[in-house]
Amino acid sequence: MEKKIYTDIELQELRTGGIIKQKQKDYFILRTRIPGGYLKADILKKYSAIANKYGRGYVHISIRQGIEIPWVHINNIPKLLKGLKNLGILKGACGPRSRNLVACPGASVCRFGFVDTEKLAKELDTVAFGKDVPKKFKAAITGCLNSCVKPQENDLGFQAQGEPEVDLSKCIGCTLCAKVCEKVCGRGKREPAIVMDKNKQPVYRKGNCFFEGDCIRVCPVGAWKLKKAGFAVYIGGKVGRFPKFGRKIADFVDEKEIPKIIENTICCYNRIAEKGERFGEALERQDIEIIKKEIL
Amino acid sequence: MNEFKIDRRIDLKGVPCPLNFVKTKLTLEGMDAGLILEVLLDDGEPIINVTASVKEEGHQILKVDKIFEHWKLVIKRQ
Repeated sequence: MEKKIYTDIELQELRTGGIIKQKQKDYFILRTRIPGGYLKADILKKYSAIANKYGRGYVHISIRQGIEIPWVHINNIPKLLKGLKNLGILKGACGPRSRNLVACPGASVCRFGFVDTEKLAKELDTVAFGKDVPKKFKAAITGCLNSCVKPQENDLGFQAQGEPEVDLSKCIGCTLCAKVCEKVCGRGKREPAIVMDKNKQPVYRKGNCFFEGDCIRVCPVGAWKLKKAGFAVYIGGKVGRFPKFGRKIADFVDEKEIPKIIENTICCYNRIAEKGERFGEALERQDIEIIKKEIL
Repeated sequence: MNEFKIDRRIDLKGVPCPLNFVKTKLTLEGMDAGLILEVLLDDGEPIINVTASVKEEGHQILKVDKIFEHWKLVIKRQ
């Protein structure tokens, strides 16, 4: 079979669409994306078929909730790409573009989650994925303070928070809410958000609350309820050679605001960063209050 | 004060998580709906975790009492 010769421009285009050159001559990795990390079992079977047909019968699960298929020969790339969309497999991104939006399992199944991150990640894919940026741009959305997808290590991270409220008429005075609160919000030198008064009734002090919802989960009679859920927003996190923890710029942002915040953040990143620079690095030169106004 | 007629009692003092919940769950599953189980649990993680898990399983918790260094959980099988 005659080998297809790609020009540099064509190779660059392939890279944009998730085809990565391997160190072995003429072999490439197909990078795909799974927004939020949930994948139908039927589509998983298609991955298996592709890996057997075009690769070497195995895949690599990436840290960004994508599946990568190595050992695709250069001659097979056009055929492989043509069929992907119909199979329900989404291409990933490489190079100076925004990456797959990652999410934790979320409230559909997880006992800790406040929001359905699976649904959100799918909806936000069009806003968050594949946009041109100076270096790369990663976004994450996590359903509670456990931070399973590490939103603080992403250029833009959303972390769900839940504010509790108590119905004292239901309270049986068991003190378990104060007990869990002391372990979380009252850890170390902090003061707990829930303390029991002399009548064995809980008193809530919002200023000390971490909004992680343990009081709601433990309450045996459902006296503690979720009053409202929202998101803390982190910006500028990254790992690599110079790791940086994302900086929190907001609390209790409404779910409806998220698409706008993603768009604004990508726009802001393009405005302030030099080519090849990550958002967190560029942010060091900026006045955070101005950035907040631009993004939120 | 013991306003509930206890149908079964299990003592899970010294039984660690998650075994204490597993034993509670199995005991409840062996009981008829409406019957009442009393469980004795250690302080700390056991009382917190077992309470939250029993609630998630859909059973009704009638009482949570601290007795010296231990806890008594009164559960109505649903």
